[in-house]
Amino acid sequence: MSNIDRRTLIKGSLATVMAGTAMSRAAFADADPILLGVSGPLTGPNAQYGTQWKQGFDLALDEITAAGGINGRKLAYSFEDSQSDPRQSVAIAQKFVSDPRIVLELGDFSSPASMAASPIYQRAGLVQFGFTNSHPDFTKGGDFMWSTSVSQADEQPLLAAYAVKKLGLKKLAVLHLNTDWGRTSRDYFVNAAKGYGAEIAVTEGYIAEERDFRSTLVRVRDANPDGLILISYYSDGALIARQARQVGLKQVICAASSVYSPKFLELGGEAVEDVHVGTRYFPEDPRPEVQKFIAGFKKKYNGLEPDAFNAYAYDAMNMAAAVVKIGGTDRRAIRDAFAKVKDVPSIIFGTATFDVATRRVKGAMNAELVVRKGQFALWDGKPT
Amino acid sequence: MSSWLDYTINGLIVGNVYALVAVGLALIFGVSRLINFAQGSIYLVGAYIGWVAVVQLHTPLPLTIIVVAVVAALVGLIIERFGLRPLQNSVRIAPLLATIGISFVLDQLVMLTFSPNPRALPSQLPDVRFQVGGGTIGPLDLLIAGVGITSAILLFVFLRYSKLGWAVRATAQDRDAAMQMGVDVNRVNQAVFGIAAALGGVSGMLVGMYYNQIDTAMSLQATLKGVVAEVVGGAGNVPGAVVGSLLLGLVESYGVAVFGTSYRNLFAFLLLVVVLVLRPNGLFASARQAPPEPLTGTFIAPSRPVRIPRWALLVAVAAFAVLPFFPVSFYVLQTLINAWLLGMLALSLTLVAGTIGQVSLGHAALLAIGAYTSALLSLTLSVPVGLAIIAGGLMSAALGTALISPSFRLRGHYVSIATLAIGEIVSLVILNWESVTRGPIGISGIPPLSLFGYDLISASSVYWFSFAVMVVLALLQARLLSSHLGRSFRAIRDDDIAARAYGLSLNRYKSLAFIFGGFAAGVSGGIAAHLYSYINHETFNTQQSILALTVVILGGLGNVVGAVVGSVALVGLPELFRIAAEYRILIYGIVLLLLVRFRPQGLLGTI
Repeated sequence: MSNIDRRTLIKGSLATVMAGTAMSRAAFADADPILLGVSGPLTGPNAQYGTQWKQGFDLALDEITAAGGINGRKLAYSFEDSQSDPRQSVAIAQKFVSDPRIVLELGDFSSPASMAASPIYQRAGLVQFGFTNSHPDFTKGGDFMWSTSVSQADEQPLLAAYAVKKLGLKKLAVLHLNTDWGRTSRDYFVNAAKGYGAEIAVTEGYIAEERDFRSTLVRVRDANPDGLILISYYSDGALIARQARQVGLKQVICAASSVYSPKFLELGGEAVEDVHVGTRYFPEDPRPEVQKFIAGFKKKYNGLEPDAFNAYAYDAMNMAAAVVKIGGTDRRAIRDAFAKVKDVPSIIFGTATFDVATRRVKGAMNAELVVRKGQFALWDGKPT
Repeated sequence: MSSWLDYTINGLIVGNVYALVAVGLALIFGVSRLINFAQGSIYLVGAYIGWVAVVQLHTPLPLTIIVVAVVAALVGLIIERFGLRPLQNSVRIAPLLATIGISFVLDQLVMLTFSPNPRALPSQLPDVRFQVGGGTIGPLDLLIAGVGITSAILLFVFLRYSKLGWAVRATAQDRDAAMQMGVDVNRVNQAVFGIAAALGGVSGMLVGMYYNQIDTAMSLQATLKGVVAEVVGGAGNVPGAVVGSLLLGLVESYGVAVFGTSYRNLFAFLLLVVVLVLRPNGLFASARQAPPEPLTGTFIAPSRPVRIPRWALLVAVAAFAVLPFFPVSFYVLQTLINAWLLGMLALSLTLVAGTIGQVSLGHAALLAIGAYTSALLSLTLSVPVGLAIIAGGLMSAALGTALISPSFRLRGHYVSIATLAIGEIVSLVILNWESVTRGPIGISGIPPLSLFGYDLISASSVYWFSFAVMVVLALLQARLLSSHLGRSFRAIRDDDIAARAYGLSLNRYKSLAFIFGGFAAGVSGGIAAHLYSYINHETFNTQQSILALTVVILGGLGNVVGAVVGSVALVGLPELFRIAAEYRILIYGIVLLLLVRFRPQGLLGTI
């Protein structure tokens, strides 16, 4: 084939492709999906959470589409990888606010990345809907910041009640991830636990990359508590539990809902047996929306068990759909719709309604679980 | 008292874990004088190969170890052959950067293959535990200790008594002489990389089993701790690496015992800095070792810088200055704002790394100091933002120079390692000094940029402001470089012995360079703080330091225009690749590798 021939051929096929695109554009203009922007980590150290978000989003979108979409239009999202890095999340924010197709933004994952982008969303009048943003100042960024992340002011007193009042632990050691989330949670927990009459023997903050907790646990042992409280994610929570057992600590362990994941059991093995977890959702919850979520998730992802981050993302997408249904595609109307949505079915909250003053949702579900025979089970009230 | 026994045992156990990485690093450093930043990635690869073997193929432990060692060794051989051998005759910094690029590529390939979710890697040893002190020790603890110590002994024997070992040592001492004596230097390198990679892979697998957990983010931390342990022990010294690792483990464990968990890494990096200051070649550098070859201009590629005509620069500046008048999207403006902020950091680094030859891997610390100073001054003392940013620059200049000054007597790679440690120390101090920095909660509600009472909040005003600041800093720096002072800087870089003989005070000139550089970086951090309105100790991290170094290498060391061009390129490229989502770090790594391979002197060359 001569050069010219090849060039003509390429040109020809390009023209065909372009004509095809143009045609499909014209034909489906009305059916263009309503687009949400997602800013979150797909690479970098938090990449796993972005992956989990996608799983939750996609499941919710399948169901929304099957139910006829938003007034007949499909809902879709454009996921931009920020690596949870503030420099990138601000650029993404500019990209989203200047893209007229984006009606609402979801994310980012971490506080620095989310809150660095907040001023841009606020000024441009595009809702930044953070669903993992428990930093107490996140929604103070402006009236375009809304969050379904459970306020730790809500969750930690429930965990404290479980540990102190129900399990009867009087002298506690608190191990917490030394981030804004872990630190805020610790303070709420400690206050509540003291209120219930418990003594805090020691608190230890550790950084996210930490893998070795043996020396920390010797400190804990020397403080002689009768219970260990873990304000951890599942991976570090499992590590601490394993090493606690290895250094010979036999105390009752009670963990925040963030460890609730099948991965916690897999990574912790026998060491997490009898660990108590206060959680916002669990698979045996008979509520139909929970059962539908779990069945749908397992079906879509080859039997994979969903965990808390999947549930947050699923809830957030459903909330976004509910809001867009009321607010339409106008950004400001969508902001106003957040104040109007009522009792949206939710895995985490049962039904979710925003508190207009805080722009957060109140009243997370709380189930008291314990790991028995390698499975999370409802706590039967018996001491361990 | 019994607790101290436990702290000691725990320190030794985790020290053993570090030793597994440090031994491989030491071996490679011994032969190639190269700090292999990809060692942590090989450790990661080993962990995942181990997972495949154990969980999917159900191999018994001895076979698992062999499989992991063989596959990891192959990876090491490939790295040596295709990543590093082509760089043999290039500048010293090139292979170092190449290993960073290789680590990006490997980490990303593992993540794409296995997903970033952590996985359980079950230990294949029986779970019996022996009571020691107040705690217990299991078979895996002993196996890790055994592998660490045995490999150190075997390596020692190999280096001392085998013919290939002699060749390795000869190459380490004097590469050219070894070649003249008929040593096949390439084969030596291959052997070393193969052995080091096999060790690295096996260590990743063992550590994964130890924690019953592997994830794709484990490589950077492993590299950091391994490098610290190795340098503490004396770079290139295999038994030293083991001792350095155990010492590191002990210091961390005792640090936790006395001060609490959140200070742990602080002690690791302080140990490194103290050792480097007291014994610049590590604790066990032998007295007979040949002094490090004179590093005169070692890092700098000989090249003729590309001179850009003045009119072209003026046109470019004018074009960027009027850009916001054209219908460009805010996204493009924001991306360029990021580039200007990175440009200020790069100006700072290209001055200290390029012009005076002190390669810094902890430059993000200067950003952090400037950002916190500016944020706190404007927030708590209501200092006007413009003044607060200048104060941030001054604080970075003063504090940064003071922190880095102990490393002024170090040479070559040790400077980069010391600055890496100082970067980590600054971040950990910010995390722990709660009364001032608000600790992990970070600082929120930082007032927006403003000048003479006018808030600069629109994308174009922020754009003009940051662009103007960068241009002014660049002009000042260009003036500096063409002055007598600039020539003195370059004299110190090119031959510090000659410069000293000529009567130049090295410390004073290095301080001057860091003061100017610290100011530029601090201003960049200050502007960023007001732009983001929220910062915490993670906002300015090691990745940012590495990015800055990549920028100045890309642009050409010491080259002012190059720093700016490099910033625009390296902020722009990932944004262009944004469409490639999960693949973009991979692409970034490959671009870095190609750059180092084909244009080590940078796009515009070194001044």
